[in-house]
Amino acid sequence: MMSFRWATPLLVAAVLASCLAIIHSTHASRAYYADLQRLEGTHWYLQEDYSRLMLERSTLASPHRIAKLARDELVMRTPDLATLHTIVEGVH
Amino acid sequence: MARNGVAPAPGTPWRLVTVVGLLLILAAAVVGRLVLIQVVDQERGAAFLREQGAMRAVRSAEIPAYRGMVTDRRGEPLAISTPVITLWADPLRLRDSSRLGVLADALGQSEVELQQRLDLYSDKRFMYLARHQTPQLARRVLALKVAGVGGKREYRRFYPAGEVASQVIGLTNVDGKGIAGLEKAYEDVLHGRVGKKRYIKDLHGDAIRDVGVVREARPGQPVALAIDLRLQYLQHRELQRAMVETGAEAGAAVTLDAWTGEILAMTNHPVFNPNSRAAFDYSATRNRVVTDAFEPGSTVKPLTLVAALETGAFTLDSIIDTSPGRIRVGRKVLPDPLNYGAISVSRVIEKSSQVGVTKMAQAIGHEPVLSVYRRFGLGEPSSIGFPGERSGSLPNRERWSEIEKVTLAFGYGLTATPLQLAQAYAIFANQGKRVPLTLLKRSDGEQAPSERVISKEIANQVLTVLHRVTGSEGTAQKARVPGFSVGGKTGTVHKVGPSGYLHDQYLALFVGVAPMDNPRYVTAVVIDRPKGDSYGGGAAAAPVYSRITDGVLRLRNQRPEVEAEMPAQLAGFGGGQ
Repeated sequence: MMSFRWATPLLVAAVLASCLAIIHSTHASRAYYADLQRLEGTHWYLQEDYSRLMLERSTLASPHRIAKLARDELVMRTPDLATLHTIVEGVH
Repeated sequence: MARNGVAPAPGTPWRLVTVVGLLLILAAAVVGRLVLIQVVDQERGAAFLREQGAMRAVRSAEIPAYRGMVTDRRGEPLAISTPVITLWADPLRLRDSSRLGVLADALGQSEVELQQRLDLYSDKRFMYLARHQTPQLARRVLALKVAGVGGKREYRRFYPAGEVASQVIGLTNVDGKGIAGLEKAYEDVLHGRVGKKRYIKDLHGDAIRDVGVVREARPGQPVALAIDLRLQYLQHRELQRAMVETGAEAGAAVTLDAWTGEILAMTNHPVFNPNSRAAFDYSATRNRVVTDAFEPGSTVKPLTLVAALETGAFTLDSIIDTSPGRIRVGRKVLPDPLNYGAISVSRVIEKSSQVGVTKMAQAIGHEPVLSVYRRFGLGEPSSIGFPGERSGSLPNRERWSEIEKVTLAFGYGLTATPLQLAQAYAIFANQGKRVPLTLLKRSDGEQAPSERVISKEIANQVLTVLHRVTGSEGTAQKARVPGFSVGGKTGTVHKVGPSGYLHDQYLALFVGVAPMDNPRYVTAVVIDRPKGDSYGGGAAAAPVYSRITDGVLRLRNQRPEVEAEMPAQLAGFGGGQ
């Protein structure tokens, strides 16, 4: 009979503790989910930037544009055989 | 006390007790029922209620998945997905909005048209306002916070190389699924898995909060091609130039690295712009290098030469008498342009003499020739698995007439694609070994599997002859590349019309190998219906081969065989002796 007297407050305390733990974990779960949402948003923005920059880079570096700039602005041309020389690394 | 102080009417206690008792019983019944449904969960009542609740409030939405990027062998993007926002509306809520004008302005649409579309869909709860808008524009529209307008995240595919690689890369449809070219062939690798999340909505259908992710979105994998964008661009430019110079209607070119089986460039004409679907011609999406099979004509004569050498009946120096410059086979007379007289087997190929090849074919029969064709991969699809790839055909007859045996030896009666021709010549460059072709980049140091199909000696003999074709006596002097020795074979084939061969329409072909001192790069060029006098393989296709190969050898860092004297100011840079 003694043990029942101790058991009741113990169980009440345990129930209370578990209630608080549930509140805590629910809150944490919501916070984490909010974080996830925010990070997904950031991910999306970064990806947006990344692919836009990739596109910009490949537009600027398109062989067509490079060839045109080299020819028209830098007055470059493909060397003919008379002026071509290959430099081989490591040969002295 | 009350009973004693105020005299109660007789009978009151039992009436009160009855009413209170009934009310208590009713309350107990309601509570009991609630307990039965929600706590005891009898007859799945709780599950039913939860389901009904969720049906009214919980919705699931797709999380878009990123489609893998397609790059060339150096990592340059060829197809890339960018995030875009699709704007949609709920016509029921938007129809009577007072801010339609503002919305239409922000969208760049006319208010009248928008109103008309809203009326058209007035009984629906969803319609697209504008698909695939740039995030900046979409955010401006969404910032207006017009009731009944929403945004959905999607991806749109962009092709930075535009028309230069359009037929190879292919296309996706508006929903991001590959429908042509590599986008279709590698759909399984490229496409991501769409994720799913659940959220709680309010009365108007707007999301209040997310409940959780049901399935994670998984991004697609990137694909690195063997294509080198610089070579692709160069080939494209030269092919376009050839179209202008020869007045041809279509053309195709392909360059292989024979050692690894990698396809370095593959171009076609006509072209289309994959970034704009406005003026769209489906026939231009065809990758002719793999989808168009035609009679290869003289370009397979080197294969006939292999058959002749393998039988042992001929060597390169065997003499064949081609006079008087024509030969009768059955009811047909096959002519040479002029009487070459008695010439060597090597010279027969150099001059592409019909009479000489006919005599060789008659001597060895058709079986050895067919055997070589099969070993060189004609009549079977290559290993690249490109959508719409043709395998060409080899004749399969019970009885062979004399003319059929002979025409087979000079490339009529069978069909092949430009890729198959390039693959066949790659076997010569590989000293007789066949390496499976691939559109994907092989990793550094990866040993390509190979299978020996002809002996090294015969391969080298054929290479010598191919080199002579570009010599001063050959048919392809215009294929020469400054600083390098190259080899190849021309072909001029009559096109086939509804009622047989067309007399004034040709395919000009050239397939070549370079550089001869260390053969590695194979390029096949097809010019379809060149106009004017320069319609032959040597006149229309060989110059294109020359210019493409010049660029290929330079960009692949091949050292020219002959070089200028070292200028004094460069001598200190390490090239000096």
